[in-house]
Amino acid sequence: MRRRKKKQNKKYRPARYAPTPVLGAADRHVVSRFSYGTTPELVREVQAAGGGVAWFEEQLTTAYADPAADARIGDWWPDLHLDAPTLWKRQEDEVRAVWEVMADYSRRLLVRRTISPHQVLERMTEFFEAHLHVPVNGDKQGIWRASYGDVIRRHALGRFDEMLVEAITHPSMLLFLDQAVSTKKAPNENLGRELLELHTVGVGNHTEGDVKASARILTGYRVDVWRSWAATYRSEDHWTGPVQVGDFSDPNTDPDGRDLVRRYLVHLAHRPETAQRLARKLAVKFVRDDPPQALVDRLARTYLQHDTAIVPVLRELVRSVEFKGSRGVKLRDPSEDLVATYRALGTTLKAPQRIEDAANAMLWQSTVIGLAPMTWPRPDGQPLDNQPWATPARALASMDIHWSLAGGWWPKTGVDYQQPTDWVPELPMQFAPLVDHLSRHILGRPSTRGILKAACTAVSVKPTEQITADHPLMRWHFNRLLGSFLDNPLHYGR
Amino acid sequence: MTTTPLPRTTGDCACPEFRGADLSRRGFLRGLGLAGATMTIGSAVVTVGPSAPAAAADASSVLVVLSMRGAADGLSLVVPHGDPVYYDARPRIAVAAERLVAKDGFFGLHPALSPLLPLWQQGKVAAVHATGLAVPNRSHFAAMEAVEDATPGSSERVGWLNRLIGDLPGTSPLQAVAVGSAPPALYGPQPWMGFDRLDEVGVAGDDKWDPTDDRLRSLGKMWQRSRSPLAPALRSAMAAVDEIGPAQAQQQRSSAFPKSDLGKALSSVSRTIRGDVGASVITVDQGDWDMHSDLGTLQWGRMQHNADDLARSIAAFFEDLGPAADRVTLVTVSEFGRRVVENNNYGLDHGWGNVMFLVGAGVRGGYHGTWAGLEAGNDADLTVTTDYRSVLSEVVRTRTPVSTATVFPHFSPERVGAMVGA
Repeated sequence: MRRRKKKQNKKYRPARYAPTPVLGAADRHVVSRFSYGTTPELVREVQAAGGGVAWFEEQLTTAYADPAADARIGDWWPDLHLDAPTLWKRQEDEVRAVWEVMADYSRRLLVRRTISPHQVLERMTEFFEAHLHVPVNGDKQGIWRASYGDVIRRHALGRFDEMLVEAITHPSMLLFLDQAVSTKKAPNENLGRELLELHTVGVGNHTEGDVKASARILTGYRVDVWRSWAATYRSEDHWTGPVQVGDFSDPNTDPDGRDLVRRYLVHLAHRPETAQRLARKLAVKFVRDDPPQALVDRLARTYLQHDTAIVPVLRELVRSVEFKGSRGVKLRDPSEDLVATYRALGTTLKAPQRIEDAANAMLWQSTVIGLAPMTWPRPDGQPLDNQPWATPARALASMDIHWSLAGGWWPKTGVDYQQPTDWVPELPMQFAPLVDHLSRHILGRPSTRGILKAACTAVSVKPTEQITADHPLMRWHFNRLLGSFLDNPLHYGR
Repeated sequence: MTTTPLPRTTGDCACPEFRGADLSRRGFLRGLGLAGATMTIGSAVVTVGPSAPAAAADASSVLVVLSMRGAADGLSLVVPHGDPVYYDARPRIAVAAERLVAKDGFFGLHPALSPLLPLWQQGKVAAVHATGLAVPNRSHFAAMEAVEDATPGSSERVGWLNRLIGDLPGTSPLQAVAVGSAPPALYGPQPWMGFDRLDEVGVAGDDKWDPTDDRLRSLGKMWQRSRSPLAPALRSAMAAVDEIGPAQAQQQRSSAFPKSDLGKALSSVSRTIRGDVGASVITVDQGDWDMHSDLGTLQWGRMQHNADDLARSIAAFFEDLGPAADRVTLVTVSEFGRRVVENNNYGLDHGWGNVMFLVGAGVRGGYHGTWAGLEAGNDADLTVTTDYRSVLSEVVRTRTPVSTATVFPHFSPERVGAMVGA
């Protein structure tokens, strides 16, 4: 047994195809956590910047440099620019339903993540859009949902207190968590509770009395539901009288409670419990599922020292030893998996003309794997840890989507796939160096013995075999070879 | 998805050591699944076997756990019409006593549950009221976690169903199956299988154009010893795909399934059970019970819609099962109940006690539980008088050979009497 293994070891010694550049492990780690997957362009970008952390800094600096240009990236769905009354009228006239427009919203997110050069901005927009989650499914919040996303995007690398004030009082959030219909006679508790439990201090750090006071503070914001959809503030609906939530208290005598709400939200954003909660969530998303408390404490302190600014926290995180020691422990979630696959395959997306074109089909593909962007049905946002995505159903579904993309079978239009001749850097060449080239391109790292073995098995080719233009691999089996990379455990991690 | 037929070369495998595989395809796939079972338990390779079977519970019995996500309002589903506070507390959304079905002197079912009446009249439906967590927890997320782990005080995230399957006899990789989204109750070291659509279970690329199983063997090489967080689940899935054929071969028999997610899921569950593939525990869920607004009345709103879907799906399920229904017990769970007093939006905020339904084999039909009496006031809850684990314990004890002490550690169940022999 042992002898046989030795023989195999020699046989599957990986070859090197040096002309295809790769990043070192530390740089690759930064990029793999803060981008949506490796591409040759990204590797060049990181090398030009001078490494992973330098690239990260560059991303922070350029994220908001030209917001108008940024907004044009993947701006392929004109309905996302329509205002609330127009969207509603079109639904009533049966021109186009709100849920269809919201499908476009998820699609635009997928496309931006795939093609935007502002990868860190996309990442942080996703993080905070999930933290202050308003699902796109649901006509009420859908009417106002696109502009809600713009709010999050504008603040995702800004200050959390400013983001919180704008997000909680945005019509889309007010509609989703029933605040838009709450009255002083019977304050609806939904938003007041989730604001404390999910958006700020977290469960265990507030009482039921706090929930009630929170709901009272928020009364007054209304939306003219099912009619004009106009968002208004109505003093006659605002509950007045003393309120106390934790150590925040106010006589609340002014019938216009908007200034109170602003002060209340800013206060919550500055609470140490909120700092802990955000720091932990950032660490779970970008470091590991069980982040050490010491790291969380440092990130929380930085957050408070910088008046809830997000960038200093990220800078600290990316330079931490805990981050550096966390390679290979995070699983891609369904939309990350899909986007990384489009990027790894070197596909070129085009503005969609037909419903079945790739930029539209991506939505259904991410649903097949498990979840389309911003469709998590509960207000807590999609999970950041591995377990919910580490299920048998997901494994089979991911393999299904990888297989159809490796073969170019679905979607067939609105996208350019690389052909076998595009994938092969020279012909003829030996199989083992070809595997190394593909490993560098798709997995962002040199091939290993395991990668080579899996590739050989997938297409029944020996490592030393010469690949020519009319080799069966080039004529019929290239999709099987690509499949062995896309279904490598390394492609499932980030 | 369609795949393009590809011309194939002759099955001329260039790598001799792959050819003479002494493992059959099924043995190979099952072996992957077992790798999952042992590797996730710890660094020491330990295989946890079933403890000695306790009573003479039928080995072929099946437990179906239906999670009603978002905290359903039990007071609308099983209405305490004999408690006057109910009508005072809900001037707009209460269900009038004369509209209730299966009514006794105190309780009655929401009329949208009428499709369950035939089963009810056969004594196969039990409703246990005022159940829940021992202390109120109004957070959807924390309550769900607590309900599904069912080990208060433990920081370990292992669900009660995972502990249950750990002690069930049998080795089928389809012993535990989640149809639709997987509940945390299944999370843990024991392998389980899940799918959204029964007919689509399979490994992409494992098809007739790959007669030498190159694809499966390539996957096996990559995943057999992988430490990826996905590896145990992927191995479980691969072990299960070859066993699921008999379930896929079963036809849907009832035409009465709603077109809803729940209806589709229960149709798949029925076929899985009838296919006799070794499934003992199956989970499904029904979302959208979080009705802060628009719970509504008998004429409109979300309650009548959800209740109708629930009842028609369950009724169609037991009809579709045919003779296999004699082996199946379905139990519903929801993270908490809702407040007694209605809010201003035809809805209800987060509360405490709730109702659990038990349907099918071994169930002692009718209304169960202890009623403490409703109180009025905006904060009033339905007081929990029966720990939900006592209800589940009766099901586990009467329908499986597993000790309830394993499934619900440090818990002493009280008798509910909702199961025959309990």
